[in-house]
Amino acid sequence: MKVVATYNIKGGVGKTSAAVNLAALAARDGLRTLLWDLDPQGAASFLFRVRPKVRGGGRKLVRGKSEVADVLRGTDVEGLDLLPADFSYRHMDLVLDESGKPTRRLRKVLAPLADHYDLAVLDCPPSISLVSESVFDAADALLVPLIPSTLTLRTFEQLGGFIDTEVDRRPEIIAFFSMVDRRKRLHREVVESLPDGRTDIARSAIPAATEVELMGVERSPVVVHAPRSRGARAYGELWAEVRGRLDL
Amino acid sequence: MPLDVPSYAFALPDGVDPPALVSFLGTRFDVVSEAAEPLTVTVVDTADRRLREAGVDLSLHGSRAAATLVMREQAGSAPLTAPAGRHRRWLVEDLPDGPLRDHLAPIVEMRALLPLARVRAEVQPLQVRNSDRKTVVRLRLTTHAALVDDGEAVPLTPRLEVAGVLGYPRPLDRLVMVLTTESGLADAPASLADEAIAAAGGDPEGIRSKVRVTLRPDQRTDKAAVAVLRDLAGMVEANLPGTLADLDTEFLHDLRVAVRRSRSVLRELSDAFPAEPLARQREALKWIQSITGPTRDLDVQLLDWGHLLAGVPAERHAALAPVHTLLERHRSSALRTLTRELRGSKFTGTWAAYRAFLDGRLGPARDRPDAKRPIAEVAGGRIAKVYKRMVKAGRAIDDSSPPDDLHDLRKRGKELRYLLEFFGGLWPTDVVKPMVKSLKGLQDVLGTHQDREVQAHNMRDLADDLAGEVGGPEALLVLGVLIDQLEAEQHAARAGFAERFAAFASDDQRKLVARTFS
Repeated sequence: MKVVATYNIKGGVGKTSAAVNLAALAARDGLRTLLWDLDPQGAASFLFRVRPKVRGGGRKLVRGKSEVADVLRGTDVEGLDLLPADFSYRHMDLVLDESGKPTRRLRKVLAPLADHYDLAVLDCPPSISLVSESVFDAADALLVPLIPSTLTLRTFEQLGGFIDTEVDRRPEIIAFFSMVDRRKRLHREVVESLPDGRTDIARSAIPAATEVELMGVERSPVVVHAPRSRGARAYGELWAEVRGRLDL
Repeated sequence: MPLDVPSYAFALPDGVDPPALVSFLGTRFDVVSEAAEPLTVTVVDTADRRLREAGVDLSLHGSRAAATLVMREQAGSAPLTAPAGRHRRWLVEDLPDGPLRDHLAPIVEMRALLPLARVRAEVQPLQVRNSDRKTVVRLRLTTHAALVDDGEAVPLTPRLEVAGVLGYPRPLDRLVMVLTTESGLADAPASLADEAIAAAGGDPEGIRSKVRVTLRPDQRTDKAAVAVLRDLAGMVEANLPGTLADLDTEFLHDLRVAVRRSRSVLRELSDAFPAEPLARQREALKWIQSITGPTRDLDVQLLDWGHLLAGVPAERHAALAPVHTLLERHRSSALRTLTRELRGSKFTGTWAAYRAFLDGRLGPARDRPDAKRPIAEVAGGRIAKVYKRMVKAGRAIDDSSPPDDLHDLRKRGKELRYLLEFFGGLWPTDVVKPMVKSLKGLQDVLGTHQDREVQAHNMRDLADDLAGEVGGPEALLVLGVLIDQLEAEQHAARAGFAERFAAFASDDQRKLVARTFS
């Protein structure tokens, strides 16, 4: 089972949108896929109409006191299951801190599922904390959405530096531009100024599109309810790139 | 850790109209129905139905140019798909890399996936939703017909497949309760694939390789023997078209096994048959075995190729390519000879005569001393005798014995194995099962010993042909490594003989055999 995580220190940059759409596309391609909604706000769970509740809460789950299989929920996308959010995830840092080897806990929770899924997608809360370190340890790849600006590029480079120096098991980092508004000069310039040979930023970019924003109303991934839309096509291209990079 | 979600397949009884059923469900649940889609699918499986045995459904969807293979492990589970390409059958290497191939490869092994039946269906997907408008149960209501060879459509029972969604067991339970108690639905008696294959005149269980004949201990030996032989003859006939079409290597293998087993029955129960026709038929089966041998030997070499390469350093694999090419060329040539023989008048006449021998009268019982004796008595006597001979022959084998001694012991072991397979059911399982187990353990080492000997011999025979090939001299050098490896495996098998034989010929085993079968 390969593990990818959508991550950014900032919120509102398109992490959840990427996680749900890429997970849905993976399932449609025949990969047995799990999406873990690690964000206590539970946006991914909401989009799949799954109640953000984990029996026994995050503490029991992370400490291995509850059976992970018992809390999984099938989604409306065949082949895609969800490990839902729980409001108690807001204390996950504390729970991890109290555990032995805190940065390895999330990997341990996923271990029993390795034979059942080909891909796990982790939708992470915005922060840099023990939770994110545990995610870095569990993930084979980090998908980092970037809203085009000079500052976000700088933050992205800082993240790479942090992972290089602080994380033992270095995941591959694949950034991609998100919420790109072609009407804005800065967005166009940042996206177009990327050197060709740069491999840590995907060629595909996700546009700022109404149909993507409407996911919250439709309560389903855009690739499901508007598969021919610009947003859905962009996620399709990003997925093809990620799939190739991860050799899935 | 189980993640399985329960699924059900119901047959719609006569009088239950599919649209009426959907309307009824709408009064009890929040049901969303999608437009029904017409579909023509082809049921795909190996000839011996390995996918069915493994609980996997595989079907071919779409037209030739864009046909897709669709695999489901259980109803309602997400399908795995792969482009089918243009093939009359699919060996594992014909499937594109990906999850579908990864799932099928260990089940299918060397067998070909074949189109077994065509079904025209109309499938209506339905979903039951909860108060959050989330799907909690998936249903597929299907009406269909099997398309048989002459283009006729044979209607099949309409069915409703119901699959739960992980984490939502209660709505599924409630729906199933309503369907069974209020709608009067019953479990579908067979899978759609089985029903379609049967409608097209096939056997849903596929081509068997195990004899299935019910015998009574007091049954006449000649009748029991003929019943077994007819079953085996059916297997020869079932595997003949696949052998001629070279669909996969196992058609020929299973054909040869059925012939070998038939020869064994004729030999072991010879006194139940008239001497002169028996000699003629034994000779006929021996001839069939001989014409099918060369192709099978080369199949074994090619099937074992991956295993052989594993023992050679990776950087030398390329040098062995000419050996593989040569084996394939020899195999093609052997197959041409074989198909010519099997299509020829000699084979047709020989087989018709053998069938007439099995179906006709065997003549007066006075010329056949075992004919009227109870099968348990005759087969039991043979089991005891062959076992005793094996014990004697095995005890005489030591480190200086020639390989032929082990080969002879293996041949006797096969006789015993077949006797136990065909007639073992006449004795208690707790006696026969451990005997078969210890015999199998012994046969495994004897088989490896013999196979490696033959393979090493065949490899040496390739040397002359290789010398003239491009890359031949390099291949010859590495061929030596292959032959060394085969000989090492042969020696290892021989080293394991004593232990396996001791288990087979233990005091307890001998007493048990004497007590049970003599």
